[in-house]
Amino acid sequence: MSFRRELLFSAAVVVLFALAPWIAPLLQLELSTVSGVLVTAIAVMSVNLLLGYTGLPAFGNAAYFGMGTYGAALSVSYLHVHFVEAIIIGTLAGLLGGLLLAPFLLRRRGIYFGLLSIAFGEIFYFIAYRYTDVTGGEDGMRVVRPEVQLGGLHAGISDFGFFYVALAIFVVALIAFRTIVRSPFGRTLVAIRQNEPRVRYLGLNSDRFIFVALLISASMAGLSGALSALLLNFAYPLQLDWHQSGYFVLSMILGGAGTVWGSLVGAAIYVIGNDVISTITPLWQIFLGALFVACVLGFPRGILGSIDLLLRRAPQTFTDDDVNAAFDPAAPVEVGRGR
Amino acid sequence: MIHDLGPQLFNGLVLGAFYAIVAIGLSLIMNLTGTINMAHGSFMTLAGYLAYSLVLRGTSFWFALIAAPLIVVVVGIVVERTLVRPLYKREPFYSLLMTFGLSLIAEEVYRLIWGPNAVPFSPPPSLNGTTALGFMSFPTFRIFIAVVLIVAIVALALFLTRTRFGLRLRAAVQDTEMIAALGTNTQVLYAVNFGLGIFLAGIAGVLAGGMLGLSPTSGNSLLMPAFVTVIIGGMGSLFGSIVGGLLVGMAISLTTLFIPAASEVSMYVLMAIVLLVRPRGLFGEEGIFG
Repeated sequence: MSFRRELLFSAAVVVLFALAPWIAPLLQLELSTVSGVLVTAIAVMSVNLLLGYTGLPAFGNAAYFGMGTYGAALSVSYLHVHFVEAIIIGTLAGLLGGLLLAPFLLRRRGIYFGLLSIAFGEIFYFIAYRYTDVTGGEDGMRVVRPEVQLGGLHAGISDFGFFYVALAIFVVALIAFRTIVRSPFGRTLVAIRQNEPRVRYLGLNSDRFIFVALLISASMAGLSGALSALLLNFAYPLQLDWHQSGYFVLSMILGGAGTVWGSLVGAAIYVIGNDVISTITPLWQIFLGALFVACVLGFPRGILGSIDLLLRRAPQTFTDDDVNAAFDPAAPVEVGRGR
Repeated sequence: MIHDLGPQLFNGLVLGAFYAIVAIGLSLIMNLTGTINMAHGSFMTLAGYLAYSLVLRGTSFWFALIAAPLIVVVVGIVVERTLVRPLYKREPFYSLLMTFGLSLIAEEVYRLIWGPNAVPFSPPPSLNGTTALGFMSFPTFRIFIAVVLIVAIVALALFLTRTRFGLRLRAAVQDTEMIAALGTNTQVLYAVNFGLGIFLAGIAGVLAGGMLGLSPTSGNSLLMPAFVTVIIGGMGSLFGSIVGGLLVGMAISLTTLFIPAASEVSMYVLMAIVLLVRPRGLFGEEGIFG
């Protein structure tokens, strides 16, 4: 896609979202669900950066997400900070989570990285779960959405207002994400996914690149978590559990790993699908599980990944090597597994 | 509090044996095929529920202890052949994601069949009561569990080191292509290996049902300690899983006694310390999973 067409397409999507308060009721969706899509999409992007682009199984991003959630929730409840400050604190809390885990995670690649991410992430879950006096434990904690106070401006944020805040932050995050993955830095991450030893032979310290990617990812997850606390007016420990990480990864695969817009598409399917299914049937967990299985077996490139394949008139069946090696729109489909 | 120490240490050992046997099952599957089986806990729960239903229909506990894991092995091999096998050539996180989905489905299905609450599954009368061990007395069922788990682990070790099939399995972990080129049907290896891991999970599931309770999520609550066990013991080492399991069991039971609030976090702290000193885990082998 040329830059101009991409810009037009992006603008159209943003305008469409800006009209959501009027479109959503026609589709029988709550506006807060659409806000949820935008907020979740930021967390899915954070997984996409690590897994879709760098190839690291990021099954622990719920920990950073939860750091953001509780960072915002606790600072609002106990320090009485305002809206913007709460979001900043949440983002920094996510970053802090990344800094804490980086020394452990950076040593390993592949499934070992995934296993460590899951295990270390659970620490955060149990702290939130057990530290009942402060966090409310299993029941979670209520967060009263604070006012915005900037200079002389004082304003409460309604659900309507929050939607536009979320949209604005999402757009900024998406632009930042696109800039990062198209930069030499982002290209290096893709190179690490394809063949890390070769990257090292070229004289690049891949550990350092992964470290920075991890910190960016953790901050984005923290930002998403903080927004989630302010959207739901609630924080609860299951948001830090590894199940949550799994949902983020699923959303990423659904949308299309290693694609800029895939995160939004995946988050939309996951959040709206969950919302619709859970109102129809109490057995939503079976459907969610079936979605995991079906997506992995039959649809591993996700929606945007598949469209991308179609556009390039590539064969419409995929081999496992395609799935492994060619998330990246820029990479030729024929590329084999870089081992 | 100090006089509770003995029994609590023994509890830690029994708990540790559970973690070890679950971790060994996970490791077997992980080492050969790179699959992190998130549904491992679901297979345990299934074995527990099947044993419960069998006993409810009048069979003896002893029959259920063998039959339930075997049924689960059949289920496991069917799942492996149909759902996991297509993913062997892909990046490992796909199979992790798929088995995660399976565990979500399984949990809800168990809830439908056996109800959302814990069901009472108690050991037979002959295993109730306590046994005096000279210096203190323990519940007989826990001693029985410890014996069964130790026998299972020893039997597995003998199978892997003393039989031709075990030799092929260990060789396949090192170089699957070579063992295939030498004429071994690796697909059979994969299926049997998966079944073996599930069998261990099944036995542990039945015993855990009697000791720790049986509910739709009970198996999954053993999954995370088993992961930590694998990490502490070092990926690729069965002996490491045994040591890791006992360490985790001890850490949990001792913190339960002295600092209850930290009982869940203690094993993660232990894991962090071990990884700082030995990045591959205690007995992790060079070159396996980088």
